[in-house]
Amino acid sequence: MGCGVTKTSEFNRKFDKAMKAAVLIQRWYRQYAARMEVRRRYTWNIFQSMEYADLQDQIKLYNFLGYLMDNFTPSKNEVCRDAEWERYFSYNNITVPDIYSGPRLTFPLDMDQAAHLVEAFKNKQLHSRYVLQLLLETWKLLRVLPNINRVSTCHSKEITICGDLHGQLEDLLLIFYKNGMPSLEKPYVFNGDYVDRGKDSIEILLILFAFLLVFPGDVYLNRGNHEDHIINLRYGFTKEVLNKYKLHGKRILKLLQKIFSWLPLVTVIDQRVLIVHGGISDTTDLALIARVDRHRVSRTNGKSHRILSSALSSDSEPESSEFTDTGNDEWKQILDLLWSDPMSHDGCIPNEVRGGGCYWGPDVTEGFLNRHNLQLIIRSHECKQDGYEFCHNRKVLTLFSASNYYEVGSNRGAFVRLGPDLVPYFVQYQATSMTRGLSFPQNVKRTEHTALKVLREQLFVHKSDLLSAFQEIDKENTGLICLNDWASAIERVLHLDLPWRVLHPQLVSSTTDGKLDYHGWFRDLHIEQTMLETLYRHRSTLETIFRIVDTDNSGLITFEDFRQTLKLLSAYLKMEISDEVINELVISTDTNNDGSIDIDEFMEAFRLVDKSRLERGKSLEYT
Amino acid sequence: MAPKKKEEPKPVAAPKPPEPEPPKEPEFNPAEVKDAFQLFDRTPTNEMKITYAQCGDLIRALGQNPTNAEVMHVLGKPKAEEMQVKMLDFDQFLPIHQHICKAKDRGTFEDFVEGLRVFDKEGNGTVMGAELRHVLATLGEKMKEDEVEQLMAGQEDANGCINYEAFVKHIMAG
Repeated sequence: MGCGVTKTSEFNRKFDKAMKAAVLIQRWYRQYAARMEVRRRYTWNIFQSMEYADLQDQIKLYNFLGYLMDNFTPSKNEVCRDAEWERYFSYNNITVPDIYSGPRLTFPLDMDQAAHLVEAFKNKQLHSRYVLQLLLETWKLLRVLPNINRVSTCHSKEITICGDLHGQLEDLLLIFYKNGMPSLEKPYVFNGDYVDRGKDSIEILLILFAFLLVFPGDVYLNRGNHEDHIINLRYGFTKEVLNKYKLHGKRILKLLQKIFSWLPLVTVIDQRVLIVHGGISDTTDLALIARVDRHRVSRTNGKSHRILSSALSSDSEPESSEFTDTGNDEWKQILDLLWSDPMSHDGCIPNEVRGGGCYWGPDVTEGFLNRHNLQLIIRSHECKQDGYEFCHNRKVLTLFSASNYYEVGSNRGAFVRLGPDLVPYFVQYQATSMTRGLSFPQNVKRTEHTALKVLREQLFVHKSDLLSAFQEIDKENTGLICLNDWASAIERVLHLDLPWRVLHPQLVSSTTDGKLDYHGWFRDLHIEQTMLETLYRHRSTLETIFRIVDTDNSGLITFEDFRQTLKLLSAYLKMEISDEVINELVISTDTNNDGSIDIDEFMEAFRLVDKSRLERGKSLEYT
Repeated sequence: MAPKKKEEPKPVAAPKPPEPEPPKEPEFNPAEVKDAFQLFDRTPTNEMKITYAQCGDLIRALGQNPTNAEVMHVLGKPKAEEMQVKMLDFDQFLPIHQHICKAKDRGTFEDFVEGLRVFDKEGNGTVMGAELRHVLATLGEKMKEDEVEQLMAGQEDANGCINYEAFVKHIMAG
C-alpha cells in the first residue's frame, strides 16, 4: 500500500483477513461434518446388511440342523423316558461347597433375593444347584400361563416395556437403575431375545425368571425368536452355558429348552396395545393363537420322521398329531409372530431374508388393529439407531433395548412406559463403560473400523465368486477392472445393497489409471489366510453341527456318530459320497488315533471333504 | 462478507442439461454420486429424493467445500421455510453438484494454515482455542456452539492452545 495508509484501513484489512479465515475454516468444518455423517450412515448400513446376510444362510442352516436333529440317533444312550424328567433335572444331590461365595437361594424367592441376584451378577456366578432349582420353579409357573398375557393399567400403574437384550447385562442393569426394579408398583413386559450374542445371557434369564417368580402378576415375558435351542447352538447361548457350567450345563440347557417352548407368545395391554417380538402377518389371528398348544408346536416340515428322542418333546404323548395341516398352520402363526418385520409398502410377502415370518405393510397393520380392536403394536426384533422407531403411521413401534449392539457407539437402547392413557414415554440410554471419553468423531471412526473389517471378511469369504464375476468382465484377462465394474460385480455377488462407490476408498488401496488390479486387491485384504475360504465361511456351522452330534457334551464324538452325520449331510445336500469314501474319511479324521473325534479333527475333515469336492468342480453349498 | 466471485450458476427452476463429461475429472462419476445420494435419501419409500436442506451436506460429502452462501445461490436462493420441504431428485441434483465442482477456489492446506495464522498472535504456530471458538461462532458463516465443540474436541493442549498445522491436518484428513 502507499504511504497514506491510515490506522482504520489497516484495521479493516486485518478484519477482512480474519473474516476470510473464519469463512474458510467454517467451509472446511462443514465438509468434515458431512463426511462424518456419510461414514456414520454407511457404517450403519454395513452392519444392518451384514446381519441380514448372515440370516440368509441362517434359515437354510436352521432347516438343516433341524433335519439333523430329527434324524440323528446318538450311539450313546440318552435319557429319553419322560417319567425320568424330574429325576433328570433334580438338583438335590448337587452340593454347594462352602467356598462358594455367590447367592444361596431359598424358595419361595422374595424381593430381597431377587435384588440380591442383580447385585451379585456384577461379578459372581450362580451355582448350578440354584440355577436348576430356579429354572424348575420357572418351568412350573410358565406351564400354567396362557399363550396371551393380559395386562391392565388400572390402579394408575405405568407399565414398562423392554425390547431385545441379547445377553447384554449392562443394559438391563442400566434399565433397572433408571427405572427401578420390577415390583407390585412397577410392572414390566420383556419382549423376547434375552439371549445370544452378548456374554451374560444366562444371568439375564435368571434375573428375569427370579422377578417373574416373585411378582408373577407384574412381570410378563414374551418369547423371542432367539428363545429357541437351535438358534442358541449357532449364536452363542449354548456355548456360554456350557462354558460357565461345565458339569451341569447340559441339563440346564435341556431344561431351558422346555422353558423356552413354554414362554407366552404375546402380551396385550388394556385390550388396546399388542406387544409381540417380531410382528404379524395378514393371517395372524389372536383367537387361534390363544388356542394353540404352544409348547408342542415346533419346526416340522409336514413329513413323518423319527424324532431325535422324546427329549425334544415336553411330555410323553405321541407326536403324530403334529404332522397335519393344522400343525403346519400353527407353526406358521407362531413363526409370523416371532420373525416378521414391517415394510413401508402395502401387502404381505414372505420374509426371504430371515427365512421365516413375513414382511407386512401398513394396510395389514390397519386391518389387524381393526379386526382385533387394538390401537398400537409394540415389537422388537430389529436394531434401531435411537433405540426405538415408529412406522406405519405411528401404529407400529419398534423397541430395541441392547445398546451398542453392533459395536461400541453404534446405537442407543430404549425402553418405554405406558400409563392408563397409553401414550408412550421413551427413555433412551447407552451403556457407556466403553464410550465414555470418546468424542463423536472417535466413535464414528471406531464403529466404522469394525464395520469395514467385517465387510472385508465377507469379501474375502466370497473370493471365488467375486473372482469369476471379475473375470467375466475382464474378458481379455488383463487382471484389471474399472471401479464402476468392480462395484457392480460386488453388488451382483453379495446382494448387500451397499454404496460400494462411496466405500471404495476404504476398501481399495490403490488404482492405476482408475483401474483396479483385482488379484492384488484380494491379497491386500489382509485376512488370515490360514483357512480355506469355505471353511471360514462355514466354521460356526461346523461347530454347531459338532455340538448337536456331541449329545453328552464331552467334546468328543464317536466314529459311528461321525459316519452317520456324513451320511445325513450327503442325503440332505444330495451330494454323492460313497460308503467307502465315508469310511476312509472317518478313519483318517482321527488324526491323534485316540478312537474318537474331537472338534479340531472334525473341522479338518470337512476341509478335506471340501477340497475333494472342489476338485470335482462343485462347491459346498446348501441347496 | 461475500465469498470470492465465481461464475453465475443458473437457478434450479431451469436446470441445465448435464455437461458432457470432461475427460479426466474424477469427480464426475455419476454412479458414485448416485451411491452417495442414496445414502442421504430419507424418504420412507426410497424415492431417490433429498430435501434442499440436505443438498449442501451431500455436495460436501462428495468432496467439495462450498460456503452456505454458494449453496443457497446454486439452489436459486430458496426461502428458509422451503429448505426442509422442497425436494430434489437425482437428475436435478447432478447439475448443481457439477457447478460447485467447477469452482476453482477450493482452498488448499496452505490457504487453510494461512487463514489460521491470522490468529497466531505470537507467531509461534499456535492459536488460542478460546479465540478461535469466538471467531468461528461470531464471524463469517457462524457455527453453532455444539458444532464448534465437535470441531475442537481434544485439540487444545493444557494451556488452551492449538497447534494449527496439526489441527488443519486433522480436519483435512477427517
